[in-house]
Amino acid sequence: MARPRALASLGPALPFALLGAVALLPLAVSDSYWLGVLVVSMYFALISSGWNLLAGYTGQFSLAPAAFAMIGAYTTGLLCVYSGVSPWVGIAAAVGATAVIGMALGRIVMRLSGPYLALTTLSFAEIARLVIANSYNVTRGDLGLNVPGLFEERLAYYYLFLGALAAVQVGLLVLLRSPSGLYLKAIRDDEVAAASRGVDVVFWKTAAFTASTAVAGLAGALYGHFSQLVSPELGLITQSGLVICMVVIGGMGTLVGPLAGAFLVYLLSEVLREVGGVQLIVFALAVILFARFFREGLAGLARRAGLGKLA
Amino acid sequence: MSKSLSRTLGLASAAAAVLAAASAGAAEPIKVGISIAQSPPGSVVQGTQVRDGLEIMKDILNKQGGVLGRPIALVYEDDQGIPEKGRAAVEKLISRDKVVAITGGHQSSVCLAAMEVAKRSDIPYINTNCWSDDIRKKGYAQVFNPSNYNSRVAFAMAETLAGLGAKRVVAYCENTDYGIGQAKAVAEALKKRAPNVEYRYETLDRAGKDFTPAVLPLRANPPDAVLTMMLPPAAYILMNQLYEQGVAPSAKTWLYDGAGIGDYPDFWQNVKEAGKDMIEFGLYHPEMGVPKLGREVGTTYQQKTKNEPNRLIFQAADSLLLIAEAIKQAKSTDGKAMIKAMESMTFSGVRGSFRFSAEPGITHHQWADIPYVTYQFTEVGQPVSKTHLVQGPNLPLSVSKLEKPAR
Amino acid sequence: MLNVDLLVNGLIVGVLYALMAVGLSLIFGILKVVNFAHGELYMLGSYAYTLAAAALGISPWLAVPVALAVGALVGWAAERLLMRPLYAGYSSWGLMRDEYAVVVTFALSILLVNLVDKVVGPYPRRGPALLDLPRMPLGPVMLSGQKLVATAVGLVVIAALTLSMRYTLWGKQIQAVAQNRLGASLAGIDTARASSAVFSAAGALAALAGALLAPIINASPDVGAFPAVKSYVIVVLGGMGSMPGSIVASLALGVLESFGAVYVSYDYRDTFGLLILVLVLLVRPQGLFGERGRVV
Repeated sequence: MARPRALASLGPALPFALLGAVALLPLAVSDSYWLGVLVVSMYFALISSGWNLLAGYTGQFSLAPAAFAMIGAYTTGLLCVYSGVSPWVGIAAAVGATAVIGMALGRIVMRLSGPYLALTTLSFAEIARLVIANSYNVTRGDLGLNVPGLFEERLAYYYLFLGALAAVQVGLLVLLRSPSGLYLKAIRDDEVAAASRGVDVVFWKTAAFTASTAVAGLAGALYGHFSQLVSPELGLITQSGLVICMVVIGGMGTLVGPLAGAFLVYLLSEVLREVGGVQLIVFALAVILFARFFREGLAGLARRAGLGKLA
Repeated sequence: MSKSLSRTLGLASAAAAVLAAASAGAAEPIKVGISIAQSPPGSVVQGTQVRDGLEIMKDILNKQGGVLGRPIALVYEDDQGIPEKGRAAVEKLISRDKVVAITGGHQSSVCLAAMEVAKRSDIPYINTNCWSDDIRKKGYAQVFNPSNYNSRVAFAMAETLAGLGAKRVVAYCENTDYGIGQAKAVAEALKKRAPNVEYRYETLDRAGKDFTPAVLPLRANPPDAVLTMMLPPAAYILMNQLYEQGVAPSAKTWLYDGAGIGDYPDFWQNVKEAGKDMIEFGLYHPEMGVPKLGREVGTTYQQKTKNEPNRLIFQAADSLLLIAEAIKQAKSTDGKAMIKAMESMTFSGVRGSFRFSAEPGITHHQWADIPYVTYQFTEVGQPVSKTHLVQGPNLPLSVSKLEKPAR
Repeated sequence: MLNVDLLVNGLIVGVLYALMAVGLSLIFGILKVVNFAHGELYMLGSYAYTLAAAALGISPWLAVPVALAVGALVGWAAERLLMRPLYAGYSSWGLMRDEYAVVVTFALSILLVNLVDKVVGPYPRRGPALLDLPRMPLGPVMLSGQKLVATAVGLVVIAALTLSMRYTLWGKQIQAVAQNRLGASLAGIDTARASSAVFSAAGALAALAGALLAPIINASPDVGAFPAVKSYVIVVLGGMGSMPGSIVASLALGVLESFGAVYVSYDYRDTFGLLILVLVLLVRPQGLFGERGRVV
């Protein structure tokens, strides 16, 4: 069954307009706290974008995006602490490691679909988290690993995350506009039909899995150096739940959806923090209402309001 | 100057004086940042007691007119007992709320992450109840420890175990900086004090729900003593399962808690039979005696909550009082000035007077000879005030006062 | 002696796992979705039992039905409010169907945890024991009275459920809907009512597990996560939707964890089940006992 067409046609200009606005924000926001909040929003936007490639464009519903961010963060964290490599080398290694693990897992879960895929990826996420959390002697377990930072200035982190986010968006746009994007969507819409027309289903599903985990690994590695503390918390199932909620609220299968969803949800929960411990209640209710009544997410609402013609 | 003009000026200055007085009454409060656990997996029991102690001291200080003519305001953040959340909480308190100091920390792993932020921002960090020696060993100028430390407990436990003549000892510690740190510190202390004791420790997940598989292997060959170094709720679950399996406390095996959980308000509600005969390391006992201000804090707490006061109440009250004293002596809320003041002051707190040690290592910026007691519960539901001291503060231990369980 | 201990303790844990897993399996059977809020029904049952016994001052034995009722009610409401679109407007859902189920149940889980945290408070609470014998030697094995009662009640309920699924009209209707929703409705079965019944039953079973374990594992807002993950593993091992399969898998997992924790690694004991799950799905993607589904 095809997704509403207009969703996918929502303009490629929108994500870049959004990122442009984010680039200008520091002119108005100088408070380091809010800059930090925006950096964390971009961390989620990165994971959400990667997950959206997999779920929104290829139809593979993985429950492990946060686990790959955690693996990325520990890859660079452990390398920096034990081998004393430069954080930049660590980040590159994190992207490589999560890509390789993602590719392996992608090959393994290829035959599974729906709830089986969800549960297998969930199990993988839990195994990864439990192994890291219980290997106290190496990872310091729940206590978290202190890793070196990259810069003194918060603004530098801000533009590093923004740069990474923009690069990922460009990559996604190029990918989706090339024939490979068509193959992915063909697989999502009807796997059997796609295979019968000569699309190498196994190859393209694995490729999407690999790309999405590498992006999550990049996000986790950057976040580790930003917060200077890496802990198994990063890979909690609820963190993956948060990512999924962001994409659903923003609108799956659109480029701008994950970005808008990540910023909206994370900033909203930060504002609601003031109200006194009710942010998760309000937020969970909002997600349920969105999923129940506005299934196409914010992007769908925007399209209905006529913004779709911008494309 | 014409008469009318001078009168006008006079009126104006009088008005200015009134305005100034009014603004002193409503002076901008001095904000102190509090990072505590208010939800799981953090120890909410601890967090709540720390909050109660802080609130009592805040009211006392503000009733006296505040500090430097300004009232004290507490800004709370929930760290959930998670290092990452604690780091973010302190980050927010410092950068967004502009607090002058951070305190309240009661779980070592969180303290270790949070104090890094305080160090980076050069803001005083008063450690309310984090015991890990590593916090001291870092030697940060910003961190002050009016609380207890693991090596101190380890020393006390080794003394007692040697006195009991224990030969085989097994410790269960939680998988945190506190738990693993204490288990290792006890190994060190035993090496010095009782090198013949055969000692091993097992690390348990603090979020664990069933410790039976860890307890079962002890049934075949029970040790002379089982030590617990865990916080509730995991500590309660472990104690109940030790009791259910007949491992400890038993006629063969002592149960000895190093985490000081026996004075928590929900202790008996959660352990019942399993808590009877337990030996407890304590940092407060009614027989210890506290200064007048301490008694005031204790009675206020008892009136407010109907619970007996315990160490966390006093430690929290002291943490805030210390910050207030530092501001008074420094005559400023500047971080560097406050740190300097604390390094040189003799602090008279609600638990007594002390100076912070300047020695590097495990007693850096620490109340080095913080008094402790050892006591034993002899009845189910026994309040701490009714327990018998086996060792008074700074007094030798009398092992003969310990009652061996009959079961 | 240690091995007998481990076997008995493993089987006891297995029976309690089964109370959780059977409900999850029934839901999967009838709706083909995984309920990610299943652990929160356990949590609600744990609290309902503890609070009813403590606050209302009623006997713990009367608090058990209170917990059952709360679980059934919340399960029913979740189905009515959130699950209906899964089959009511089925055709228009397309790809979004699985995703919708994951998202709403996930959000429901976050909502319930935080609501309880806000309303009841985050303190862990211990429920009163149904049989207040903290230490009970049973041959070479030591048990608490509560563990014995919990296991006995669990066994009776699971047996009753298995029999009623097989021999009552209700049970047969539910099986029919699980096999073929369209066919069942053509045969005159009220499929919506069957779905409601399954959700209520699953909620009540999870809540019962929570109530029976409340004296052993304190009630707290996040207590549901641990039994939930175990039951995901079990329904996959047992074949999603297969009730006998999930019962066998529950007992197997309990015993496996019990021995593994002592002989393999205590620290990594929670990963054993998950590892086996991944391995099983690699060899038999439909689970150990599941029937091979048709690919459409």
